[in-house]
Amino acid sequence: MTKKRLYLELENCIGCRSCLAACTQCGGHEERNRNYVYDVNPLVNRQTMPLMCLHCVNPACARSCPAQAIQIHETGAVLSALVEKCIGCQNCTIACPYGIPKFDTEQNLMYKCDLCIDRTKDGIPPMCASVCPSNTLQWLTDEEIENKKQQFNLDNGKWVTSMALEGETNVKVNLPGILQGVTKLF
Amino acid sequence: MQRDKFFKEIENVRHPNETLVKTHCSYCGMQCGMNLRVNTQTNKIIGVEPRYDWPVTVGKMCPKGVTAYQQTNHDDRLLKPLIRDDASLKGTKEGFREASWDEAYDLIAKKFTEMQNQYGKDTLSVFSGVSMTNEKCYLTGKFARVALGTRYIDYNGRFCMSSAAGGFLRSFGVDRGSTLPWTDIHETDCLFIAGSNTAECHPTSMFRVWNVQERGGYIIVADPRETPIARRADVHLDLKPGTDLALANGILNLLIQNGYADEEFVNQHTNGFEETKELVKEFTPEYTSELTGVAPEKIIRAAEIYGKSPNAVVMFARGIEQQHKGVDNVSGYTNMALVTGKIGRPKSGVATFTGQGNGQGGREHGQKSDLLPGYRKITNPEHVKEVCQVWGITPDEMPKPGVSAYEMFELMEEKTIRGLYLLCSNPAVSAPNLNYVRKQLKDLDFMVCADFYLSESAEFADVVLPAVTWSEDEGTVTNLEGRIIKINKAQEPLGESKPDWQIQVELAERLGKGKNFSHLKTAKDVADEFRLASKGGYADYYGATWDKIDKQDGVFWPCKDEEDEGTPHMFLDKKFYHPDGKAKICALPYRPPAEEPDEKFPLRLTTGRVVYHYLSGNQTRRIQFLHDMCPEPFVEVHPETALKYKISHEEEVRLFTRRGEAIYKVKITEAIRKDTVFVPYHFGHEQSINLLTIAALDPISRMPEFKACAAQIEKVENVEMKKVQ
Repeated sequence: MTKKRLYLELENCIGCRSCLAACTQCGGHEERNRNYVYDVNPLVNRQTMPLMCLHCVNPACARSCPAQAIQIHETGAVLSALVEKCIGCQNCTIACPYGIPKFDTEQNLMYKCDLCIDRTKDGIPPMCASVCPSNTLQWLTDEEIENKKQQFNLDNGKWVTSMALEGETNVKVNLPGILQGVTKLF
Repeated sequence: MQRDKFFKEIENVRHPNETLVKTHCSYCGMQCGMNLRVNTQTNKIIGVEPRYDWPVTVGKMCPKGVTAYQQTNHDDRLLKPLIRDDASLKGTKEGFREASWDEAYDLIAKKFTEMQNQYGKDTLSVFSGVSMTNEKCYLTGKFARVALGTRYIDYNGRFCMSSAAGGFLRSFGVDRGSTLPWTDIHETDCLFIAGSNTAECHPTSMFRVWNVQERGGYIIVADPRETPIARRADVHLDLKPGTDLALANGILNLLIQNGYADEEFVNQHTNGFEETKELVKEFTPEYTSELTGVAPEKIIRAAEIYGKSPNAVVMFARGIEQQHKGVDNVSGYTNMALVTGKIGRPKSGVATFTGQGNGQGGREHGQKSDLLPGYRKITNPEHVKEVCQVWGITPDEMPKPGVSAYEMFELMEEKTIRGLYLLCSNPAVSAPNLNYVRKQLKDLDFMVCADFYLSESAEFADVVLPAVTWSEDEGTVTNLEGRIIKINKAQEPLGESKPDWQIQVELAERLGKGKNFSHLKTAKDVADEFRLASKGGYADYYGATWDKIDKQDGVFWPCKDEEDEGTPHMFLDKKFYHPDGKAKICALPYRPPAEEPDEKFPLRLTTGRVVYHYLSGNQTRRIQFLHDMCPEPFVEVHPETALKYKISHEEEVRLFTRRGEAIYKVKITEAIRKDTVFVPYHFGHEQSINLLTIAALDPISRMPEFKACAAQIEKVENVEMKKVQ
């Protein structure tokens, strides 16, 4: 099985929030969505962008957890807190540079995206990337991601790939944008 | 079949004690493939799983699609027939009592018979919809003409697709919503999209739309609002609502002047070029700009891109169609493809984004006031004879043509129509000029409504019959490509609810018409009769058997017999459906919207949808996720306009027109014209924007002008101060 990753092309986002609706449907998410879609500049235009857990290779949430409740799956997915270990300290919600972990105050429990581990462990795309109507969220092999990067022609002197904020991540984001390097057909 | 680069072989997840039923979404014309998850112990639908192997949408779904399954076992489902004895409570939710099917049928049969004896057959009317299978749409037409014997049947497509139908019939001689399959769209070089908020209304088209740009192609969008698709378009033609025809004529003029006309194609395969060329000469970029408010250089650039594109698809939706010149707008934009010859080949053509799930199939088979199955005309004696043979009636028993949906309300006012059988539609929210429409519903002598929830329209009924959701019955629908697909049954009907076809068969029996209906015992029986009734019509479904649909991932009509695989691309032989085989390039004089802004009403009001809701919202407003995302309507106002009125973001204002008023929260956004305000139309009661809209009808399609009327805004505190004084 070729390893596949979640890959984000941010400018495709149309703000439909289908990813959030789908997040509740994987069968293991207690019907609570675990990611975010933001209106970038709501009084000005309709630009939106998803904010998904990037599944850091060395995740700050797990490092900050005093109870070792956040486990990393062999696929690299950073799992939601183990119910029996989480002490509800919310360290992870502060440590995560992207603000991903959510907190259930009633159950005193953190919950976050586990990349639909019941699906992705078998190579099946997570629910968000399965349904995303605009291909903002895609489920691709490293080769496919590399091809996309080539296609966007990063060597035009104007755009450079930005540095990841928190070291290497398992989820990849298209930076710079997918349209900057496109050559028009005519 | 038609598996493209987006198609990937992916296994579905199967949870223990679950089975997957492959089907399609209940909502829009995209008809996204989906699997419904059914618990094998309770036999109830419990969730959704993507249908990766559906070639059109490859597993993708919008938030409505993802949550569509939640309709079936929803707490609001009607489980038994309801009867209301106190007619003074009409127009409210109050006064209904549960009844048995027998009691409900007896009452309906008694009332219908009494009324027809007293006032004649045509005192009854049927108002239907196209968010249901071809089988149900077909049978509803037969039910009205044969069981009730009334001429008055029409449907909510008059508020949706009738302008597209009228325009295509005039331009091509045939009304198939798309001349090419959706799997072509991402491979074209230019998409010219007018009056379609594609990202919100047909979201699962978007991965194909964006791919055009990613390949280096162009997207041109004509819309008064900077919608998500307009935001990323190469050219955004930000026109005034209701001025599309001027824009279409202006672009056509530039295409001709700049040598982009395909003379050989025009000469061999079209009529009407010379007079059209003469007519559009007047529409210079400057004059077009004056009429539309779009900068001349944008019009010039759009024409240049479309003209240069080796392949291009012209697409449109309700934005251009819901106008009192909707048919002209459709033919006007279609002219672009005909003059340049960008039609009748793969990757080029014309398409409308069909609004309702079965907006295509539902308008072809006899729910329209003047149509019979297979797109036959009720005014054509040969056509009538062919259908009569299938229905088992004589031609003199066939009622005459009726009137369009909105005009039925006018006949209610003058008491020509006194009774109504309403199904699959919610005109108390979706019709224009609602103060008038709601009064006509309230004043009916007797009204029956079949629905699976108590809609705002059901609140006017004397009897409400519990219908099933799409997932509790089977049959075919025709998606926006013209592809006939199969809806499968995933669960037994909840409570005592029944599919509409069964209700109509049983009612027909009560009305003494059993001999024409009693043989229809299953949806498959209806399907077989329906295919036969369409045979020989130009929307011929005879060869589209359920087996073939399953085997081929759908069948594109026309499909005439068992061997015929269907017709994904129209006009490949450059033969159009007019008697001489040619298409018509239409010379269309411009006319402004029926109601232009003036001093008292200086703003242009336009209406539309949000991604979270479908049509009148009767279904989607009940789904928690969708409700949470968009719980109430709003009015979009440009910041400069807001400043002029001294109103702020989230402030409540009174929006009013000559016909009605409503209070809305302001949503400030620069993504709209300064002279235009926008309100979504999915909401009921005092929140309905259709209280304000105008019923100016297109002369051909009888489509009301939902998309443009004159309006004014007032601060609520001023309204309240006036009240105190």
